[in-house]
Amino acid sequence: MLLLFLSVKYAFIYYNSLVFPLFFYSSYLILLYKIYNANNKYGLNFLLNKTSDYSKLLLTGNEAIALGGAKAGVYTAVGYPGTPSSEILPYLSKLNSSAIVNWSINEKTALEIAIGTSIGYKRAMFTTKHVGLNVASDPLMTLALTGVRGGLVVVTADDPGMHSSQNEQDNRLYSKFAKIPMLEPSDSQECLDFTSKAFDVSEEFDTPVILRTTTRISHSRSVAVFSGKFPPAEELENTKNIYRKDIEKFVMVPVYARKRHKTALERLKRLIDFSNGSGLNSIEYNDKEFGIITSGISYQYAKEIAPFASFLKLSFSYPLPDLLIKDFVKNVKDIVIIEELEPFIQNEIASFGIELKGKEYFPQDGEFNPDIVLSGLQKAGFFNGKKHIAKENDADKDFRISLRNTLPPRFPALCSGCPHTSVFYALKKLKVPVMGDIGCYTLGALPPLNAMDSCISMGLAFGAAQGLSLTKSSHKKTVGILGDSTFFHSGITSLIDAKYNNAKFTAIILDNSTTAMTGGQDHPGTGKNLSSNQLISNKIDIKKIIEGIGIEEIFVIDPYDYNDTFKTLKKALDSNNLNAVITDRPCVLYPKKIDTGRKFKISDGCTGCDLCMQTGCPSIRLPYEKNGAVNPVPFIDSSCIGCSICRDICVFNFIEEISQS
Amino acid sequence: MGDSTQNILICGIGGQGVVLAGKIISHAAFESGMDIKTSEVHGMSQRGGSVSTHIRFGKKIFSPLIPKNGATAILSFDIYETLRYSDKFANINTIIVSSNDGKTPAWTSKTKNGTIKNNFTDIYSIASVLKDNFKSLTLLDDKLIAENLGNIKVSNIILIGALSVFTHIKEEIWLKTIETNVPEKTIDLNINAFMKGRDSL
Repeated sequence: MLLLFLSVKYAFIYYNSLVFPLFFYSSYLILLYKIYNANNKYGLNFLLNKTSDYSKLLLTGNEAIALGGAKAGVYTAVGYPGTPSSEILPYLSKLNSSAIVNWSINEKTALEIAIGTSIGYKRAMFTTKHVGLNVASDPLMTLALTGVRGGLVVVTADDPGMHSSQNEQDNRLYSKFAKIPMLEPSDSQECLDFTSKAFDVSEEFDTPVILRTTTRISHSRSVAVFSGKFPPAEELENTKNIYRKDIEKFVMVPVYARKRHKTALERLKRLIDFSNGSGLNSIEYNDKEFGIITSGISYQYAKEIAPFASFLKLSFSYPLPDLLIKDFVKNVKDIVIIEELEPFIQNEIASFGIELKGKEYFPQDGEFNPDIVLSGLQKAGFFNGKKHIAKENDADKDFRISLRNTLPPRFPALCSGCPHTSVFYALKKLKVPVMGDIGCYTLGALPPLNAMDSCISMGLAFGAAQGLSLTKSSHKKTVGILGDSTFFHSGITSLIDAKYNNAKFTAIILDNSTTAMTGGQDHPGTGKNLSSNQLISNKIDIKKIIEGIGIEEIFVIDPYDYNDTFKTLKKALDSNNLNAVITDRPCVLYPKKIDTGRKFKISDGCTGCDLCMQTGCPSIRLPYEKNGAVNPVPFIDSSCIGCSICRDICVFNFIEEISQS
Repeated sequence: MGDSTQNILICGIGGQGVVLAGKIISHAAFESGMDIKTSEVHGMSQRGGSVSTHIRFGKKIFSPLIPKNGATAILSFDIYETLRYSDKFANINTIIVSSNDGKTPAWTSKTKNGTIKNNFTDIYSIASVLKDNFKSLTLLDDKLIAENLGNIKVSNIILIGALSVFTHIKEEIWLKTIETNVPEKTIDLNINAFMKGRDSL
């Protein structure tokens, strides 16, 4: 919360320093600061509306997208949290833009809400991470046929390099697959401008529009100039468009869908004209011997490495501008295509009968950076001869450090006091097959816990547990494990299916009352949403849902009580029924940081048997002596929040509570 | 990568305040009227993993990422991470401001016969390797200074203060930036910590 607060404040407190003399500027900053603190919620709005004509801001791509959406008069903005897209909606909800901004239960439902809004003649925005668009792909594919009424923009944030994802699929392919036009910003200014533009294109061409970013666009800050105002609430609420039916447009039964497919194909032709002529795609001629065709973040790396080259920068990257490309190819001698992940541009250009090189020099996996782009351009011969010299980095021939390989890697880990810890520790001891899922608890798969055997898609756990248990390939009972937000997202359906098909496994729901991995977003089980910090509905009770399904054995445990956790899990696994275990402890980070106030220490006599360190708790560490020798007896450092799990795990009772009187 | 471009890499452990430090430094650079780009890490790595923030500012910036061995300065909150990121981003001229303390990766543990898994390097030998490699290295006992100031949480600000000496950003801009980025109640404490770090060199 603090971080969010800071980031919001931080982004808007900047004001064009050139406009004011320094003394005035200083007092202006203090004034803004006071306004902000005096009126936390509307401070941003005040600032934006007062300085309507010009504000220079340092924004992340996600902040800029939110601002662009607000400027475009988005009426409904929905999504499901997923890195790197998660900050767009919270940021938008902080702007007083009159928009309805909410988390949905999953991406499919979110897109469907956006579609309904569009049918109601209002502008709608749907945000998702790349894999979330798979979940929403069913409505997406047919939405491409129906088209829209109010503008509809799908923001997909891809994750090349998989900073926080299970795959690195290239969602540009969705635009071609679904015949939906796509915009690709390359910095925060473009995020802001293109988001607004996307709504105009959507309405002009009667089509949803994909705005595709990547981690390096969404999570990089760059300078963006905001001008204009948010449309006033009255304008958003205008009801000049009264709902009417149009079944030929929105009822996709075969007879109408066939017609709409033709419409979509015809629309694509008009979009190619737009792609050629709108100015979104542009040519910068420099040295005509070397040309680069690129889009998104790759454009920035290429400009850094080869500023001398001629550029065809693709911002409207589907459908591609055939005429511009032909022009560029005619005028420039050696051309390479620089694109992260799939050879999307390369294959599209090849379909025009023009063979250009790209993936011959650049990898098809992983995230790019300036060094990869440099090495690719070197291979492509951009720095052969004396004409252009590759920028060598500083004289580091004598540079001797190369100890990185001797450093232990520092994997992400469950937090100190994380309630998931004891469940995974117990599962490890019970040696059962564990079908896992996606969330913080995926970290239970890493050493030293090593207690999760799969992580493939959101909501996989219970389906995979049913399938695995059918095979009888393990003589132990199978476990399916997921978190509360994932349960709502897509775990419920699989659990109903398990009951329906008489499956036999133990379903564990790690309920920490938040969507933790993505930063603590609300979900139906918290009863709150972005539109309000207050409880807006009754919390939807996971236990009651499971009871409603008809599962009779349901255990609710406190994971801070390790002994009870172990016993209960063992009991659930000994029973041959489909049963459920729900853990009931809040996340230690969200919505607020938890410290129980209790303190523990490892007492004298500990022989360093390692058991407590097998929890992976970051607060239990091995100390180092001055001479470099390792002291084998661990200690508990000050980051301990007093969950007491390690005390229960130490069978020798060497971990004791420090009494604080 | 023009001569005037500053490439500052901040590294540490997820949850340690790397993102906030990035905000303060980039905010200060932005206030100074320079073009700027930064790149942050969110999501999974924030759970105690090894994290970094790239900040680049100067006349005109394209890439938000610092090229290999291209950092003009490295600010690190953990000495293990100092070594990890120096290896990739530093050159012999890079200014390094680092905590002299480090946290052993949590999962690293002993084998049954008492030896440590991995060819582990302790913080003292890391310090000497860093000293051997860099002309401009500052290892600060930031935790001790913070404790003397009465709040261990300001150790990051102390390190930022030390780093600030090496930038072209004016002191008043730094102070203003800190004011706007920390909770109101802690402004004095943070300013104090910043100046302690700044004066420590």
